[in-house]
Amino acid sequence: MILPFAVDNLFLPGKAWKLSDDFAIKTEDLTKAYRSFWGRRKVLALNKLNVVIKKGEIFGLLGPNGSGKTTTLKLLLGLIFPTAGRAYILGKPTDDVAVKNRVGFLPEESCFYRFLNADETLDFYGQLFRIPRKERKLRIDRLLKRVGLEFARKRPLKQYSKGMLRRIGIAQALINDPDLIILDEPTSGLDPIGTKETKDLIVELKAQGKTVLLCSHLLSDVQDICDRVAIIDKGELQISGTIGELLSSKDIVELLIRNLSKETIGEVEMFIQEKQGEVVSIKNPSGTLEDLFLKIVHERRETGWDKSEMSD
Amino acid sequence: MQQILVIAKQTFKEAVRNKILFIFIILGLITICGSVFMPVVGDGREKIKIVESMCFRSITFFGTLAAVLLSASSIPTDIENKVLSTVTAKPVQRINIIFGKILGFVYIIGVLLLIMGSVSYVLIRVTALKESSQGGRGLLAREKFDPVDLQIAGDSARKIGNVSWIGGGKEAAVWKFKGLYSKDKNDDLEIEANFLIEAKKKSIGKIPVKVKIINPSSARVLTESMEISRNKPLFFKLNSKSLDGSGELTVVVSPENPDDFLGIRSDSLRLFWGEKSFGCNYLKGLIVISTQFFLMVIIAVLGSTFLSLPVNILFCLFVFFCGNITDFMRDLSTVINIIETREHDHGVSAVMQKSNIFLIYLNHIIKKPILLLSYILPDFRYFSVGKYFIDGINIPGIKILMGFGYAVLYTLFCLPISFFVFKRKEIA
Ligand SMILES: Nc1ncnc2c1ncn2[C@@H]1O[C@H](COP(=O)(O)OP(=O)(O)O)[C@@H](O)[C@H]1O
Ligand SMILES: [Mg+2]
Repeated sequence: MILPFAVDNLFLPGKAWKLSDDFAIKTEDLTKAYRSFWGRRKVLALNKLNVVIKKGEIFGLLGPNGSGKTTTLKLLLGLIFPTAGRAYILGKPTDDVAVKNRVGFLPEESCFYRFLNADETLDFYGQLFRIPRKERKLRIDRLLKRVGLEFARKRPLKQYSKGMLRRIGIAQALINDPDLIILDEPTSGLDPIGTKETKDLIVELKAQGKTVLLCSHLLSDVQDICDRVAIIDKGELQISGTIGELLSSKDIVELLIRNLSKETIGEVEMFIQEKQGEVVSIKNPSGTLEDLFLKIVHERRETGWDKSEMSD
Repeated sequence: MQQILVIAKQTFKEAVRNKILFIFIILGLITICGSVFMPVVGDGREKIKIVESMCFRSITFFGTLAAVLLSASSIPTDIENKVLSTVTAKPVQRINIIFGKILGFVYIIGVLLLIMGSVSYVLIRVTALKESSQGGRGLLAREKFDPVDLQIAGDSARKIGNVSWIGGGKEAAVWKFKGLYSKDKNDDLEIEANFLIEAKKKSIGKIPVKVKIINPSSARVLTESMEISRNKPLFFKLNSKSLDGSGELTVVVSPENPDDFLGIRSDSLRLFWGEKSFGCNYLKGLIVISTQFFLMVIIAVLGSTFLSLPVNILFCLFVFFCGNITDFMRDLSTVINIIETREHDHGVSAVMQKSNIFLIYLNHIIKKPILLLSYILPDFRYFSVGKYFIDGINIPGIKILMGFGYAVLYTLFCLPISFFVFKRKEIA
């Protein structure tokens, strides 16, 4: 006689693997302390980060400058190595090289070989993915059109403006048609039109069934397109969830009243104090993500609670 | 493999578009061509020597500089520019990045050697043609034979460092040659002797010596009296008939006067017989030089995995400098040795003979580390072929093999360290 939970246990390994495969990214107590050259003075850039990013969603990692966003992305890509904890991308540990075939990355500062032109740059990265020549040419044409750089494809990148470099960076991140796209500040340096285009592109990628992890301190960008967000500050996760969840406060009632004179408002107020009045709509108040962001950061600053600078 | 080639091509492209490579090549070509206008005292052979040595020196100098500067800066620059973070984010094994970079530097060196080497070759050929039309000796690639044995006959010879001092009438130096063979049987044998001399009267620049040439198989002996001058090699020719086809020869040298001393090293006496193709010899020289460049690249790549750009360049130049003065470094420790033992006075100046507390400390603090360093750092003497050209000597195959083997050994030592460090490097 086998008990039901025993049966469950029996299948747990397979199940767990399947679960982790459903996640695009999963971090477990991911921690990073930077050391100085002599191995002294640590900066705790990331402290026990636990986030899960589902397949097919746009996830926004938010935080002020120096909060550890870029550090997180670099850890995920295996550019740097965690001091403690683990992370998985597409079900594989971060030191797995093969999994990067399915990942696209846009670094914070778009720096490429300055003497190459746009065509050559994309060709270079395409070759690193072992994409066959014909297919490469097709993709390069399509991507350059998509990011609006066709007119400058033969110009060396050292003559590019910051916005143009950002665009070639995005094109480079998509050359392998990745399942998971990791974007570090995708809209920094872009004009409002470029920002809009980038956001459209990200939404389009989601429509194609791809997962996008982006980090930013430009909150309005994130608010428009992200399904879920996490806010980190000084390397610690503060809050995470869907935008709707994060921005609602259930213990407050908001009245939206139209066409009411000042006197009437007073009367209504008095009336409401006595009993129920005519209410146009009742809903949970919705602030901006910016408010929430600032509130969280300010609260932390005021308490002066600061663990990130340690010395030993 | 495809990735390695892609990274190599990219590295090469970068160097070309930077124009750094061409700056080195052009500077090199200027010095090479400048050698034609060098003023020369002496015959046509001297002129060719100058051109040859200038060509080789500038290929070595600018090649080394280019190899060091380009390969030492490539990875640190890529990290600084954050280019490497985009490359590492792709499915590229880090080991392939290193291999790709090295291969790229090999391309670069190849182009540099091809351009500078062919221009030099043409220049040397033209110079030789011009000079030999006036009756000079032209280009030489003589086959050199080393003695199988050097013995000092007599009992009171003294050895200082690697120099044996023999006195007149008491001692003699005996060189034995075996396996003398040449395709050009009828050519004369050439013997060249470089001795240090110590005459009783310091002012005298020449001492008389007796030279005996013995054919051991036929027991034929040829005795001649000659004069050896300070700082000037002694030349004499020998008819190949005196060998009788035995391929064996013994040369005995001793000073005539009891008060004269001859300082002798194992390579003091050289024997040449037969002429090889200069073009082939030139190619061999370039191969040895390129092996040295490759070794520099390996060291620079090793340095660039853990050093910052300026530090790495300094590191490489330091290694190169020390690698070229290994002799000096070992000599230094030998000199210090002499101070300690003070066995013999020849060759050591009066200041050094006094026991000096400073020098004794120097001995303990500096001698050991210098000696150790001279063994750890690469020894570029394995790749020094310039002398062969200037002296018109065919580069023996063993020299090429030794250089090759040394480079391979050193690479096998350095590369795994590079991989190990780079694999753990944080590309921030
Ligand atoms: N290579 C590094 N060495 C030392 N400290 C670093 C390094 N990179 C980042 N840091 C520190 O780690 C913290 C987080 O940096 P980062 O992840 O770049 O922040 P963000 O991307 O959120 O602006 C900062 O305090 C920063 O100073
Ligand atoms: Mg950042």
